[in-house]
Amino acid sequence: MNFNQYKREISAAIAFLVLLIVVGIASPSFFGAGNLGDLVINNAPFLLIAIGMTLVILLGEIDISVGSQFAVASVLAGVLAKSGVPVPLLFVIIPLIGVAMGAINGALIGWFKLPSIIVTLAMLVAWRDGLRWVTEGAWVQNLPSNFQWFGLGQSTGQIVIVAIPLIIFLIFAWSLRNLNIGRAIYAVGSDSEAARLAGIEPKTITFGVFALMGGLVGLAALLNAVRFNEIPSNAGIGLELKAVAAVVVGGAAITGGRGTLIGTIIGVALLGTIGTALTFLGINPFWEKAIQGVIILAALVSDILLRKYEEKLSTDANR
Amino acid sequence: MQEAIKQTELQTEQPFLARFFPNNEWVLIAVLLFEVLLFSVIGNNFFTSSNGFEITRLAVEIGLLALAMTPIIITGGIDLSVGSMMGLSAVVFGALWRDAHVPLPLAIVITLAVGILGGYLNGAMITKLKFPPLIVTLGTFSLFRGIAEGLTRGIENYFGFPQEYLFLGQGYIFGVIPTQLPIFIIAIFVIFWILQRTAFGRSLYAIGYSQEGARHAGIKVRRSLTIIYTLSGFMASLAAVIYVAHLGQAKSDAGTGYELMAITAVVLGGASIFGGRGTILGTILGLFAIVILQNGLRLSGLPTELAGILTGVLLVAVILFDRFSKTASSVNKVSFSEEEFEVKNSQVGFICAAIVLTGLLIAGSNWMLFSSINKGGSTVPATNASSQNASQTTPPTGKKAVIGMMPKAKGDPYFISCKKGADEAAKELGAELLWDGPTDLDPAKQNEVVEAWITRGVDAIAVSVENKEAISTVLKKAKDKGIKVITWDADSNKDARDFLINQATPQGIGETLMDETARMLGGKGEFAIVTASLSAANQNEWIKYIKERMAAKYPDIKLVAIQPSDGDRDRAFQETQNILKVYPNVKVIMGIAAPAVPGIAEAVKQSGKTDVKVTGLSLPNMCKPYIKSGIVDSIVLWNTGDLGYLSVYAANALVNNKLKQGDKTIEAGKLKSIEVVGDEVRLGKPFIFNKDNVDNFDF
Amino acid sequence: MSEILLKAENIQKSYAGVKALKSASFELLSGEVHALIGENGAGKSTFIKSVTGAIQPDSGILEVCGNKITENSPTFSKSLGVAAIYQQPALFPELSVAENIALGYEKGGFFGRVNWKKRREKAKELLDQIGAKISPDAEAGSLSMPQQQLVEIARALGANAKILILDEPTASLSEEDTNNLFRVIRDLKAKGVGMIYISHRLEELPQIADRVTVLRDGETIGTKEVKDIDRDEMIRLMVGRELSQIFPKRDVRQGEIVLELKNLGSKKAGVKNINLTVRAGEIVGIAGLVGAGRTEFARAIFGLDEADSGEVLLNGISIKNSHPRDAIRNNIAYLPEDRRKHGVILDLPIASNVTLASLKILSGRFGLNFAKEKELAAEYTRRLGVKTPSIHDSVSTLSGGNQQKVALSRWLLTKPTVLILDEPTQGIDVGAKSEIHNLMTELAEQGVAILMISSELPEVLGMSDRIAVMQGGTIVKILDRNEATQANILALALGH
Repeated sequence: MNFNQYKREISAAIAFLVLLIVVGIASPSFFGAGNLGDLVINNAPFLLIAIGMTLVILLGEIDISVGSQFAVASVLAGVLAKSGVPVPLLFVIIPLIGVAMGAINGALIGWFKLPSIIVTLAMLVAWRDGLRWVTEGAWVQNLPSNFQWFGLGQSTGQIVIVAIPLIIFLIFAWSLRNLNIGRAIYAVGSDSEAARLAGIEPKTITFGVFALMGGLVGLAALLNAVRFNEIPSNAGIGLELKAVAAVVVGGAAITGGRGTLIGTIIGVALLGTIGTALTFLGINPFWEKAIQGVIILAALVSDILLRKYEEKLSTDANR
Repeated sequence: MQEAIKQTELQTEQPFLARFFPNNEWVLIAVLLFEVLLFSVIGNNFFTSSNGFEITRLAVEIGLLALAMTPIIITGGIDLSVGSMMGLSAVVFGALWRDAHVPLPLAIVITLAVGILGGYLNGAMITKLKFPPLIVTLGTFSLFRGIAEGLTRGIENYFGFPQEYLFLGQGYIFGVIPTQLPIFIIAIFVIFWILQRTAFGRSLYAIGYSQEGARHAGIKVRRSLTIIYTLSGFMASLAAVIYVAHLGQAKSDAGTGYELMAITAVVLGGASIFGGRGTILGTILGLFAIVILQNGLRLSGLPTELAGILTGVLLVAVILFDRFSKTASSVNKVSFSEEEFEVKNSQVGFICAAIVLTGLLIAGSNWMLFSSINKGGSTVPATNASSQNASQTTPPTGKKAVIGMMPKAKGDPYFISCKKGADEAAKELGAELLWDGPTDLDPAKQNEVVEAWITRGVDAIAVSVENKEAISTVLKKAKDKGIKVITWDADSNKDARDFLINQATPQGIGETLMDETARMLGGKGEFAIVTASLSAANQNEWIKYIKERMAAKYPDIKLVAIQPSDGDRDRAFQETQNILKVYPNVKVIMGIAAPAVPGIAEAVKQSGKTDVKVTGLSLPNMCKPYIKSGIVDSIVLWNTGDLGYLSVYAANALVNNKLKQGDKTIEAGKLKSIEVVGDEVRLGKPFIFNKDNVDNFDF
Repeated sequence: MSEILLKAENIQKSYAGVKALKSASFELLSGEVHALIGENGAGKSTFIKSVTGAIQPDSGILEVCGNKITENSPTFSKSLGVAAIYQQPALFPELSVAENIALGYEKGGFFGRVNWKKRREKAKELLDQIGAKISPDAEAGSLSMPQQQLVEIARALGANAKILILDEPTASLSEEDTNNLFRVIRDLKAKGVGMIYISHRLEELPQIADRVTVLRDGETIGTKEVKDIDRDEMIRLMVGRELSQIFPKRDVRQGEIVLELKNLGSKKAGVKNINLTVRAGEIVGIAGLVGAGRTEFARAIFGLDEADSGEVLLNGISIKNSHPRDAIRNNIAYLPEDRRKHGVILDLPIASNVTLASLKILSGRFGLNFAKEKELAAEYTRRLGVKTPSIHDSVSTLSGGNQQKVALSRWLLTKPTVLILDEPTQGIDVGAKSEIHNLMTELAEQGVAILMISSELPEVLGMSDRIAVMQGGTIVKILDRNEATQANILALALGH
């Protein structure tokens, strides 16, 4: 790993470190094993969505329908579990339902060349209202006893919930860097016409990435659902913007071709910690949203400053 | 062929269609006409002038945002921050007027200046730092709302504005025209004029197609972009000023989600997200296509959720139509090579299959869900049998009343449990029950529903009021039209309704909650509250009484934290985890939003802290497992089913003149005789649910 | 015995009625460096595009490595072993150098593993081969132009191209880099790679090329062994371009000096020390090769790039154009080279395009005067003879020549005193071309000072009163109309 390759992730990493140091000094109990464990568990399912969003943004696209997809998948997970589908089978069915929802986005965006922001905006509204219509807001209750923690008990269940996203993160981080398919995503996001000339079909990649995004959302919904023994039907509101923010804070360029999952996990950690950190610091929760906005804008500005500095370095070197 | 065209034949006049509908707006006109036709047939009183005016009133705020969004999208940009800007402007305006005692006109001016400043901030970052608009405005989307929440600490709710100002949002000119309509029309013409009739507007189209090309023609691209983002900020603050007048209150949550509505309207109106294309006519048509859809569905008694689904479908259909018509007509365009755009039949097939499949999936799960709910429903205990008896003993008398009943939020489980009782009562009485309301807490939406019911012509309206100030005017209007108005669950201003179905006063709730907490703490110790959103009015009122009670009776008890849950179970879960760690001495956590309590309980359970108890205000069913396992010691509530049941009975009695001022009791079916005090129908005291009695209830 | 890698016979191609290639024939043997020379616009690029599959020729025979090609495409030609390196590098800017190189040679399924170590080593090896000191881990977009070009060469090397097309590879290379490149070319020759070498640096050819083919007006004039032809002969063959038309140049009584440039320079645009005067009614032609800084010089005057040294005097008064709008206010107009991207806005209607730079004169108290707009647009489209059914059609529906007329109308409407025309007749048909020439004459008679940048020497010679020849970002010589010939202009432009 060299510095050059991950330079864009560094500003987020520094911000995260500063946050940790400040909280650490003001309230050392923040670093209690219990708290860190809870933070990791709470953010693990979200990490999956951020992974998917990273792929989408690497392509230069965006998906703002993930929050609604998340809610649909959550409720379906509960309904299926209640109707007697064995829990292990849910691991197949729910991500597949996600893939189906993502595939609709992917088909419209990849094949029909429709703008992703509009397509997913339409889906955001349609899935959310569709779900409201069907459930009338009712929660899924009286879930079978083996639903929570997959029937494995709390501590094992928590390990599973953290392990799956982390394994998937490692697989994706590795594949994105070390498999042709991963590099193809970068190539399409960098210059889709040149990618086509290099033998990579942008349409297929776009379709695949959106379908995959759906699948990851499905899995995230399932993992989040099993932490509880009831499933609310209003889950995931605002999730899409949080995911985009995490990816952008992690240094990815919204125009595509640039960004890494290392950055994304830092972004997820930063945005996922900030709320808890504020509570520990005793700062009023009212300011949380404002601070979130400042972090996003600060990430942008630091990126510009970094680029300016680099340009200066390179022009100096050329002289 | 072109060679054959003689110079003298040069056309300088545009054909009719291209001139008036440069962007295929006729498609939308067709859609709109279809909607109007459809709803005129199936809706009640849809095609009336008063409904027409009401629709425009409801469209004004989003319309203003959409108007300013149009030039931005034409230049290929986007502004996600407008909804948040409305929130910021609203609280700035409220604070200036109430706290800083700035005269209203000046407060309005300063508010508009705040909008201009915020918009300029967006514009400057986009043009000077060359960031993509999507990301910049995503940042300010959080920032503006965050500042609004921070300034008001979430709880500040400014109201009591003078009548002259409220007239701006609630009044009528000549008795029929909503006051804000002229402002909206002026805004339409101004933006239309700027965009389609001035050099500046023309240059925006050029920028949208090609920034470099525009620069070569001497257009100041950066300056133009800065101006339109500034304009967007200004319009957002103008929308906020009208919104505040419309609802009579200024809160930090004003305009939540409006940015997406505005973008939807603009894109539906035919503007291309890639820039260059779009008209004000299109935006207005797109706006009304959505608004009329919602209004029409409501007046037709169809589920309003269909509006979202149909909007999504319409949106995709419109851009698909656009894409195909463009490919067909521009064969000679080199930039659109065939390679780039080819769709195989198999791919079309796939799309159709995918849509059908997901449709089936949804339908299937729908069925499963319903059957599972019904299964649960069939275990309704003893009350069921008695209600059947009741329906036999009190046969429906008088006319078949149409009762509109509105919860604060449709999807809230608390209200769903109320609906069960209401349905039961309506069935017994043979009344027609319309159950409609906002999908999320949104006072503006509540007004909208009441307006629709007035138009539809219901006999009685029963509202669980989200915000007193916001709804009272429109309820008064309903009363004036001879509609019986009752409030239930939460009250409006007294003169805006006939009766209140009082299940418990905020004071009663607050005191009971505090007493329960004190009991658990043994009169000494620390506790924390997890509320709904920080700006939730009811919760803030309860908290007020909790604090008062604590100060008066329990000097040794300390309230250490109030954390928001936004009505989200998962958020409540996380906040509780934080509370447990930051305040290790907390022994009781009180949740005062129905979804929060199970979240708190789950967090306590997972933390393994057995000495921490949970209480609060929630539904027995939601908390049943936790109550049984002893994590939730008790919850405070009333019988929600009975509340819905009683509300419908009271509404029906009002309609049939069987309930009037001065009555001491009311006969309410299975509930037998219920006490009436003044203009309040009293359900009884809040009930405490605990391990011993929770199994007797199913809601 | 070396085999024939590429054989092209009578390739023809026309764009919108303009014949870019009339009859191009070419042959490339393995292990050969075959130079392709010709003036700007002689059809070299079009020929190269036919070979790489970027365009389809209208007729002719094309054989690559013994495969007769009926339907070419970039991927197909690549699979046959054709690689091209253009002046403008086409790399993935966000990706690393090693990866850019790897995308040229790697073939593997989607789930194939990327071997970064191997990629890096191979990249390093290939870059070393061409003596380029570039880190394989550098981001391609952060490299300088010449560095990016070297990466492209390395990529083509990595792809084991059998036919390598080098389009002006040495134009922006230092002498050291050039020598390195030649060494690489010789290595490749030894490996049997055939190379088509396009260059304006004729003096390089004896060092590196085996044969040379001269293209003129889309036709192959001849192929010679390099050792049998000297530089003067090459130039003679290149410029033997016939004067296919009579230029309507008339002598106009020249007025005062309108535009004067004193030591004008712009770091960003890469031009320096430009001194020039233009009188009212005068047409000054700017000649030079691609990359000599002609367009950049115009951009600096027009305010598209900041002029950071020297002075621009208009009617004797110093002016500063920091934005095109300033230039327009000063009555300077610039018809840009890239018509489709800059000259017009393709998706806007003709009328809006015509009036786009003069919206101010259309603006009344109540906004744009549409009647006046229609009137003016109609007047100018008629005057310039734009062939279109309606002024409300979008410009993208027009042919190239008519698009150019629309672009020109836009500037005529601003009533300029200085008109800069950048390749005004490039890629448009003969009829439209002479109409534009007539118009230029007419404007000169009305006293407009005209600067005309053109790569077409007959046009420069035919239309200009004086000719400024540019090379290396500055004007090297200003020739009078009667002393200029194709040969001496070309010699100056080539740097002698």
